[in-house]
Amino acid sequence: MAFQSRKKFCYFKENGITEIDYKDVKLLRRFVTDQGKIMPRRITGTSAKMHRKLVRAIKQARNIALMPYTNVSTEG
Amino acid sequence: MRYYESLYIINPNYEQDRLDEVIKMIAEKVGEYGFSIINQHVWGKKRLAYSIQKHKYGTFVQLHFETETVENLDRFERFMILQKPILRNQTVVLETRPEIKVDEEPVHDETIETPAETPQVEGDIKEEPFLESALEDAVETKEISEEETIGGINAESESNEEVSAETAEEQIVEAKETEEVQE
Repeated sequence: MAFQSRKKFCYFKENGITEIDYKDVKLLRRFVTDQGKIMPRRITGTSAKMHRKLVRAIKQARNIALMPYTNVSTEG
Repeated sequence: MRYYESLYIINPNYEQDRLDEVIKMIAEKVGEYGFSIINQHVWGKKRLAYSIQKHKYGTFVQLHFETETVENLDRFERFMILQKPILRNQTVVLETRPEIKVDEEPVHDETIETPAETPQVEGDIKEEPFLESALEDAVETKEISEEETIGGINAESESNEEVSAETAEEQIVEAKETEEVQE
């Protein structure tokens, strides 16, 4: 096999994180694209349980203007 | 007992006095609804991820409170939405009781730009070698100019302009001659 995909792992499981805080924008930024879209867990490797919590945290952060809904507009 | 965290954004154009009034008013209202405040922390002025009501900045205030009855929570939400100075608010349930924090750090506003001291220090350090090298260069150039004067090149450089003017005239004459020949 010439090409071997890298083994995916759950970031939260590896680091022993059980709860995700919506105010921790630095952490949440790792799981969104440059556009601001939430990355699918088939790419990030996050476990289903933590991905549900992650999605909720990102949406809460977006609601209170800590994270952008989208980065497409030039307004910023 | 249930614990809640409320984060709300106040209009950034409010001065400190009006800001304190709003925060005090919210705290009083929370007390009226039968909630007891655990923590209140003013984050300060922060840049918003997107503009709300054409405001690019907002003053964030975090509020932790506890309550036994959930009845007034909807009323509190409604009250927060109706307040004009509050741009956005969000209340979330906490699973555990938040730790009581005392505000030790002063409020840090993102809009106030304080000049960093470290670059100045670096500049001071860099200045010395720069000066030395400049001095060395100056010494070298002096030596070269002395050599030139000794060799009598200096006199030649003065007459360079006259020479160049003469050559230009010669070239023009030559060009005219060639044109005549061609005709």
